[in-house]
Amino acid sequence: MNLKISMLCLGILLGTFFLNKAFGQNITVNGSVINKQTGNPVIGASVNLQGTTISTSTDATGNFTISVPKGGKITITSINYSPETLQINKEESVTVLLQETTTSLDEVIVIGYGTRKITKVSAAISTVKSADIQRLSPVRIEQAIQGSASGVSVIQSGTPGSKPTLFIRGIPGLGSSPSVIVDGIPQTLDDLNSINAADIESVSVLKDAAGTAIYGVKGGNGVIVITTKSGRKNQPTEFVFNSSYGIQQVIRKMPLLNAAEYGAILNEGSTLSGGNIIFPNLSTLGKGTDWQDEVFRNAPEQNYNISARGGSDKLTYFLGGGYLSQAGIVGGYNKSRFDRMNFTTNVNYSLTKKLKFLLNASYHNLSTRGVPSDAFNGVLGNALNFDPTVSKYNTVPNTIGEFGFSNLITQEIQNPLTQLSNTYNENKGNKFYGKFEFQYDVLKNLKFTTRFGYTKYDANSKTFNPLQFLGPNNIDPNNTLNADGTVKPNRHNSVSHDNYKNLNYTYEAFANYDFKVFKNHRFETVVGIALGKESGNQQGVSRDDVPFNSWEYADYNAATGVNSIIIVNGQPQVYTAIRGYYFQYFKKNASGFFRINYDYNDKYLASFSGRRDGSTRFGADKRFGNFYAGSLGWVASKENFFKSKFINFLKIRGSYGVTGSDEAVNTNYAALSTIQTDYLASLYGTGNTIGYTFGNVFANGATLGTYANPLLGWESNTQANAGFEMNFHKNKFNISADYYYKKTKDLLFTTNLSSYLGSIPSPVTNIGTTNTSGIDISLVYNETIGKDLKLNSTLTFTTVKGKVTSTGASGAIPGGNFFNGQSQNTTLFAPGYAPGVYFGYRTDGLFQTQAEIDALTYVDVNGNTQKTYPTAAPGDIRYKDLNGDNILDSKDQEVIGSPFPKFTSGLSVNLNYKNFDLSVFAYASYGNDVVRAFERNNNFTNKYSRILERWTGPGTTNDAKNPRYSFTDPNNNARFSDRYVEDASFLKIKNILLGYTLPFKAVKKTFKTVRIYAQVKNAFVFTKYDGFDPEIGGNGLLNTGVDRGAYPLARSYAVGLEIKF
Amino acid sequence: MKSIKIFTIVLSCIFLGSCKKWVDYNPREDFKITDQEYLRSEKDYRAMAVGCYSPLTWLNQLVLIGDVITDNSVTGGESASDQLALQQIDNFTFTSVNSTIADQWQSAYEGINRVNYLTQYKDLNLAGENITFPGKDALYGETYFLRAYYYFTLVKMFGDVPLFVDRRLGVTETNSLTRSPKAEVYTQIQKDLTDAIAVLPIVQTEQGRATKSAAQALLGKVYLYQGKNTEAAAMLENVINKFSLVPNFASIFLQSGENGPESVFEIQYSNGQATYDWGHPTRNQGNLVVQQSGVRGFSGINGMPYASGWSTNLPTSNLAGIYAAGDQRKDVTIFNVEAYKLANPGFNIVYLVAPYRNTGFYSGKYQPRVGESSGQIELNYGNNFRTIRYADVLLMAAEAYNKSGNDIKAQTYVNLVRRRAFGNTNNDITSTGNTLGDAIFAERRRELAMEGEYFFDLVRTGKAAVALASLGFISGKHELFPIPLADVNGGLTQNPGY
Repeated sequence: MNLKISMLCLGILLGTFFLNKAFGQNITVNGSVINKQTGNPVIGASVNLQGTTISTSTDATGNFTISVPKGGKITITSINYSPETLQINKEESVTVLLQETTTSLDEVIVIGYGTRKITKVSAAISTVKSADIQRLSPVRIEQAIQGSASGVSVIQSGTPGSKPTLFIRGIPGLGSSPSVIVDGIPQTLDDLNSINAADIESVSVLKDAAGTAIYGVKGGNGVIVITTKSGRKNQPTEFVFNSSYGIQQVIRKMPLLNAAEYGAILNEGSTLSGGNIIFPNLSTLGKGTDWQDEVFRNAPEQNYNISARGGSDKLTYFLGGGYLSQAGIVGGYNKSRFDRMNFTTNVNYSLTKKLKFLLNASYHNLSTRGVPSDAFNGVLGNALNFDPTVSKYNTVPNTIGEFGFSNLITQEIQNPLTQLSNTYNENKGNKFYGKFEFQYDVLKNLKFTTRFGYTKYDANSKTFNPLQFLGPNNIDPNNTLNADGTVKPNRHNSVSHDNYKNLNYTYEAFANYDFKVFKNHRFETVVGIALGKESGNQQGVSRDDVPFNSWEYADYNAATGVNSIIIVNGQPQVYTAIRGYYFQYFKKNASGFFRINYDYNDKYLASFSGRRDGSTRFGADKRFGNFYAGSLGWVASKENFFKSKFINFLKIRGSYGVTGSDEAVNTNYAALSTIQTDYLASLYGTGNTIGYTFGNVFANGATLGTYANPLLGWESNTQANAGFEMNFHKNKFNISADYYYKKTKDLLFTTNLSSYLGSIPSPVTNIGTTNTSGIDISLVYNETIGKDLKLNSTLTFTTVKGKVTSTGASGAIPGGNFFNGQSQNTTLFAPGYAPGVYFGYRTDGLFQTQAEIDALTYVDVNGNTQKTYPTAAPGDIRYKDLNGDNILDSKDQEVIGSPFPKFTSGLSVNLNYKNFDLSVFAYASYGNDVVRAFERNNNFTNKYSRILERWTGPGTTNDAKNPRYSFTDPNNNARFSDRYVEDASFLKIKNILLGYTLPFKAVKKTFKTVRIYAQVKNAFVFTKYDGFDPEIGGNGLLNTGVDRGAYPLARSYAVGLEIKF
Repeated sequence: MKSIKIFTIVLSCIFLGSCKKWVDYNPREDFKITDQEYLRSEKDYRAMAVGCYSPLTWLNQLVLIGDVITDNSVTGGESASDQLALQQIDNFTFTSVNSTIADQWQSAYEGINRVNYLTQYKDLNLAGENITFPGKDALYGETYFLRAYYYFTLVKMFGDVPLFVDRRLGVTETNSLTRSPKAEVYTQIQKDLTDAIAVLPIVQTEQGRATKSAAQALLGKVYLYQGKNTEAAAMLENVINKFSLVPNFASIFLQSGENGPESVFEIQYSNGQATYDWGHPTRNQGNLVVQQSGVRGFSGINGMPYASGWSTNLPTSNLAGIYAAGDQRKDVTIFNVEAYKLANPGFNIVYLVAPYRNTGFYSGKYQPRVGESSGQIELNYGNNFRTIRYADVLLMAAEAYNKSGNDIKAQTYVNLVRRRAFGNTNNDITSTGNTLGDAIFAERRRELAMEGEYFFDLVRTGKAAVALASLGFISGKHELFPIPLADVNGGLTQNPGY
């Protein structure tokens, strides 16, 4: 066989040689290539002699010279232009006018294990291209998908470099997220922190089963396919340099009480509950300290990229390097930041005529520092809750500590500046990813591909917990210094080092075979296999007694703590100064897949794909699963009877199929019943502790650690999709619209078990079903007005409507913990409701008089009359008695909001006028609610300024958001109710960018183009929500929209420079 | 072309064959022991029995609840909003979402399920083997004692509760159970204790393991809670004279007094494991209540023995008022910090007045002491709970005899307790009948105050409504705590009024 192939290769080589020779007499053509619309030269256009590999490209003035045989045909191609072909009969100078493509009809898009001309695709796919990504200059690529790709919901977070919440077509999976494929290699959403947006050619979001079924168990929640840039054949090297520098700042602050207001409210709360006046002299308090002003800093953001791309006949390449640094507005550069350096090499080399080698190699160096956030004791939580009467700097004599402390707040909440100054951590990681790929053209239409893709990520993180002084009265365990700076007994500072190592790899082998039957029946097929393994381990050590209590000495070897027996109060005691841990994990997948695409004359389209997947994550009986999808399309505009001057292209399509997900299962033994024998493992994490001390002798103990669930299997998504694509009005408009209906079965989720089962952690189980439906619309408009003004605009519209139809035996699953003194759930996943809705009491105004309270009674089981509100006082909240039994209990809870919008919409408008370009991008979300969960609701913590409108006597207010204020809350007004739910619909102007390309003449000697630009990101936010930011993601579905002091998105002002040469 | 097609198919098949193997899985690859491989030796059985003891230590907040809810003590803390779950219990405003109540429920059930797992595989393990070893029956006796303790905790807090003894519940049984009548639960507790008594030794070599006397004392208590006074008296009589009252009341609660001559059963805490988990502060090897009970900012010099804490569970002046002059229990039970400071000027004591509902008093029986914790100091106090003291047995026996008509014995036993308290016989009780009954009850409060008994004594004797009305106790409701909301949503009926 090998010999045969070699002979064949040789044959073709020789053939080419003879072919070249046969032409003999060549003539030289000088030409220039000009943009038909603008008259500008087209630089870097490829000029190729048809049927040969002879080619060249246009230079910086759009000129080319090529030697061709008489009668030979040359083809001129360039990205974003329609190709032109002309026959050369004599030596001459030619001018080629290239028409810019305003339609995307000739584009191909990347689908699983192949590409397909966009007009032939019958699946629902949204694509975002390089130019649109560049305009947003995102830190993470998801930011460019938000509002640009219909059917995708993105909720961003302000923490530099952090992963946003991303859903494709709704919220089917509780623990799962879309898969990511970068140049054919599986990665995850987490990995998107390490892809330089400047290196990306396109992002395709595969939304329906027709697109995702070939990814099988990875396809269940949609697939994001990222293609990075590659070189182009026979092109001179084009260098692109891009840099930008910006300053970020907080968009807005939260309305809180100032010191005088705080003092007055505390006095009222205390006296109303029978206590003393806390601030006898309010007049001295003044405005106090605004802790929000103190923690928010202006933070720089900078981005530098350089790339080179080009190619010869055999070799094409793209080389890119970049550096990005985004500081966080909470705490500034020193405390909160994300730095990324990357080098990317994409090389494509023809080893022989038939054998091609592709190498993609990326190296990323990632470095982050973080501050605690999204909790009431995070930095923002502390800024919102800390005592405003405390001065910024410590003015108390004979006490150490740079910043002020409170004598009222003595636990949990602390001065956010003290917290910031004592926050020391860094995480430095190195990531290598890429692929080795061979493509072998067995026959003209048969290609065999084999590739090995890998992602290797290693990181070291270090955390230093210094000795600190939080105030003389503070009982926090971290208050380890006395006021005079001496260390409290048996308290130590410590440094911890954690080390993560991860390696994921995939081996894939597949064959693509394209063939025709009769004249117009065309088939494109692929069949292949994939084997994958994810593995990693984590280890860490920590050690006490860092010298000088200093971050500079925060190192395991510099620390001096030793394990010892110490005598305290005459008793021997074990003191562990050095601690360590280790764990590891792995997961393996094995799959076989195929797809057949069919089209008849580009008119009738059909596709069928399937995949069989096996995973170590499931029970032995459920190890393998089958997934498949079919789709049909009809390009109606190709029909002879279709005669519309208005509609240029019309395709109607539909698909149906099943995909899966295993992502929510995070161990291989989730289906097995295991025994727990390690006391430490039982202590940390689950709280299902073992061990007991008999006298003074500790016995380790054992217990059942996990539940058996041999039936644990795939989560499956069955999705039907119907849509159309249409170009109309001279191809100026393009609309793509889809309706889908998705049914998720055997939903994987970690449920809450009945507590009489004990405290073994809840296993992940297949619990139920959800239905999701929605509409994705994308409308593109391109227009050239006059000679110089070009307009390109895209509008997307996305709706998602989800409903849980069953949760099996699990019943209603609560989540979204909100701690405001008591631990409460805010969200619910339960049959009959949309997933993750807010569930709680509905308020019904305030009691104005005691008579109103006394009037509400019921008769209990013993025949005694009981008050509905036995402990309420006037000014307390009345809740709606939903079941009409006059008893206020959990049966009176209902859906009081949803974190998920009714629709989202993105609008981008790009204008080019002569050398100016202007881009504006707006994003709107309608109908999403947020839970205000950042208020600690402690007697002495600061309050939301709305409390100034509280009830102070009959008739003052009936607004349940403003009940009376008392230190004690006997009516439990703090229970989770619509009091805490806010409409967070918003419209954001996410991006405004104005660019200017320097006039050609001034720079043409050296550069192709030089462009400067100014940009404002997150320019405006319009919303009724009073918090920092209405976009509140969250760790998982049931935490979405619960604002525990989330890191807000910053507004940034940036300037940039882009040079091509 | 045909050959190529075949080539592809063959190639795929070869790989698909190995694909299957690629995803084969053996739990040993993750270093996991499965249930199939366990309970194969005596060591395994003994380790699992240890696991049955662990949840005892998780029930520490119950000791606070039993006093805070009454007028013995108040929650205190930083403010009215600190430790809200306890404040709500203090104020009778708690509901079915109270996390502290729900935690007692879950902890007791974890204990029950752990015992049940051992019961399930007593005769045959999962591999079908019968593992026998010396002392197996006695070991099972310990587990039955523990299960009885857990069910008793549940039944006295919640009344009717789901009852199951033959197996550890599996995931499919979530939301499937209903509450069994209190009487059936008591019947099972009695059976477990009777079975335990039959096999348990009188003395255990390891301190803290359940003994025959512990089971008898607990069974006596269980009878008493049901009003089975004759049975209670008879059962408790077995324990009389097996233990002795130590003369110095204060010494009981010192580290040196742990597992002493008065100790019938103690829940063992330790500071030997310098580990801590703030995610589960009640589930460490240390006793959180000790930290909670301490005086804020308490420090001194020259070996001042006390460490600082969180000023929770503050005894009231009301409680201080029930002790007669000369009763040595008063100063042990009620630690008066200012008096202590004045009495010990050499210590140069400083402390912070309790920020909320300061009474000046702290729970002296479980005060944090310097050097009795380790690692994360807050979470590792090793103080044992003196769960069943001999004094408690004597008072229960006195009560049972009084209620079943034997006042002579009742007087004898209650006076043993009083003589120890006063160090003389001058304060002996000579009354009979209901007066004696009331005196015994009052003695229980004095003897066991701040040990988590008082509320349950009030409820079982029907005295709660009167004693606690002014605190917000609603008769017909607050005798029982609410079933946790999640389990009510899962199909359990709720107690009246919640």
